[in-house]
Amino acid sequence: MSQKIPSLQSDNFKLKSKELVRSRESGILLVLILVSVATTLINPRFISGYGLSDLLLNTAMIGCLAVGLTPVVIARHIDLSIASATGFSAFLTAHIIVGQGWGVIPAFFVGACVGAVIGAVNGVLIAGLRLPSLVVTLGTLYIIRGIDYQFANNKQFTAEKLPTELVDLAQDKIFGVPILFCLVLLLALFGVWWMKFTRFGRDLYTIGSNPQAAEIVGIKVFSRTLFAFVWCGTLAGIAGVMYLSIYAIVDSSAFLNQELIVVTAVVIGGVNIFGGVGTIVGALLGAVLLRVLIGALVALGVAQFWQQAINGLLLLIAIGIDRFLSRRSETKIERIRAEKKVQTP
Amino acid sequence: MRFNLAKLTSQERRFRPLTWDVIIIVLLVVLLITGSLINPAFLTAFNFSLMLPNIGEILLIAMPMTLLIIAGEIDLSVASIVGLSGVIFGLTYQNGLNVWIAALLGVIVGVLCGAVNGILVARIGLGSLAVTIATLALYRGFATAAMGNKSVTDFPESWTNFGYSTIGDTFLPQTYPIIILFVLIFGVLTHLSIFGRRTFAIGQNVEAARFAAISVLNHKIVLFMLTGAMSGVAGVIYVLRISTAQYDNAMGLELSVIATALLGGVSIFGGVGTIWGVAAAAVLFGSLEALFNLQAISPNIFTIVTGSLLIGSVMIPLLLGRINFMRIERARMSKSEEGQL
Repeated sequence: MSQKIPSLQSDNFKLKSKELVRSRESGILLVLILVSVATTLINPRFISGYGLSDLLLNTAMIGCLAVGLTPVVIARHIDLSIASATGFSAFLTAHIIVGQGWGVIPAFFVGACVGAVIGAVNGVLIAGLRLPSLVVTLGTLYIIRGIDYQFANNKQFTAEKLPTELVDLAQDKIFGVPILFCLVLLLALFGVWWMKFTRFGRDLYTIGSNPQAAEIVGIKVFSRTLFAFVWCGTLAGIAGVMYLSIYAIVDSSAFLNQELIVVTAVVIGGVNIFGGVGTIVGALLGAVLLRVLIGALVALGVAQFWQQAINGLLLLIAIGIDRFLSRRSETKIERIRAEKKVQTP
Repeated sequence: MRFNLAKLTSQERRFRPLTWDVIIIVLLVVLLITGSLINPAFLTAFNFSLMLPNIGEILLIAMPMTLLIIAGEIDLSVASIVGLSGVIFGLTYQNGLNVWIAALLGVIVGVLCGAVNGILVARIGLGSLAVTIATLALYRGFATAAMGNKSVTDFPESWTNFGYSTIGDTFLPQTYPIIILFVLIFGVLTHLSIFGRRTFAIGQNVEAARFAAISVLNHKIVLFMLTGAMSGVAGVIYVLRISTAQYDNAMGLELSVIATALLGGVSIFGGVGTIWGVAAAAVLFGSLEALFNLQAISPNIFTIVTGSLLIGSVMIPLLLGRINFMRIERARMSKSEEGQL
């Protein structure tokens, strides 16, 4: 969107913008509840205990990646290499832990480290050399997948080879919530704290709203952006370990071509693809909504063939609503400004 | 880093930075020479006849994509349009339509898809990256819904021959006269026509273009329709080349197309790019892959090289630009010293 919301100058604006942000997340939540209730009414099995926890388990990976990608998109960048990073981390982690006979915690540690290194490479190229993120991460998408293919060399790890604790982890639950989804919630909680309450996170919004201005007012654009990419890579690495746990099989084509689905989840969650707007909670809700909708379509017996088309339509509606909301707030702010001018001549 | 060349004096103009499209042509020549030295089979007609068909569709779509990126937009839905138009072509032919009309319908579907993208981006004002990610899923979804798991394979033999045979005994595939014709058309359209100048103007500065009475919105819609049309043509050719119309034709091709355009020196920020650079990049891709095949180097390395070239295509011009900037500064400083003397 070319026009940005002008800087907010009075409490009145702050209140209004807060309302707007709130309405966005509560809006997604509303749609989420509506879809769930409507589907349950038609097909009661949809939201029964087993269905719900299954749904959350399926959301865990996309949710984790969406939480990772959000700060990057808010800073007006994009990471297309996220799916390659996930796939590579899944394979490399499997290779290392099977070789060493390690368990669950080291697995997540290894995965996170692999992802963090990939994120750091992206971050240095983009924030350090100021190369366009779309091109760089398209490049690393190929490079990482190529290394993955070369390294894997047609090998694969199946459930028998992988440590049983890791494979069983996908079935473990805390109060009926899959433990993997709890992990995502924990990561999201850290993300919310970071993006909402720390200087570090708020700076990312500034960078995304106006990169030149951020530079001029002395924000440490390099370290902020680098950290956003490292965070994104780390979560991609963790999602890779989740992949091992959920699917219990991995080869070099794990999670191939899934990068745009993550972007879809983030955008549905109300994160503006042009930066500066969005929240981690929204992105996570977007991921859940995407999954619930797929689950609902299956429960309603819609032919599987239509699912992708409906996904696309959903994304179009989401960005359409974004556009509508930002237009409305622009006109509101303009009107209030005009009124102010009349008051103080 | 972009230089305002108008501000340079005539002496300083010799410091004009090397642009990536020139570098890519040099790289291509170097590759062709070293390739033929390494393996005598590399520069043979047979090898070319194997290599060229693979890059045909990518080149066809990369050219309108170049115009689109120059104008500051992007289209990620092209591969889905290729799939959808191929499915429409196959289904209408199977239902007894004349093969010519079926092919035409495939292209028309492409134009319509492009028009939808264009209207959503230009008229409604949504971001092209987000819109085309959505229509990527939407169009592929339509193709899947229309075709299901089935496929159409019984095309007339003269048509499938057109898809993968060569012209007589030469190395040129039968589709290439058409592709070369399109390269020429797009070369003229981009660099020698008013349409092309307007596209560059929009990419350099939208506001200025608007004040110069360019109808920016309509221009962008036309560019999206052009991309859709070429994706439709590529969709028909793709079906003929593999003799199969199914829903997952050309899945994931969009990134190869965009990689080719960017590798050809098109700036992702808009306003800069050449058709010959993109054509050279497509041939470079194809020959590199062919050379790797001949030398029995794993295609994985090719994937890695592709990614590295892509990063190089933005990194090297940047470094050259910085070096150049320093040289110009130095020249100016020495000049001012002379003036003082």
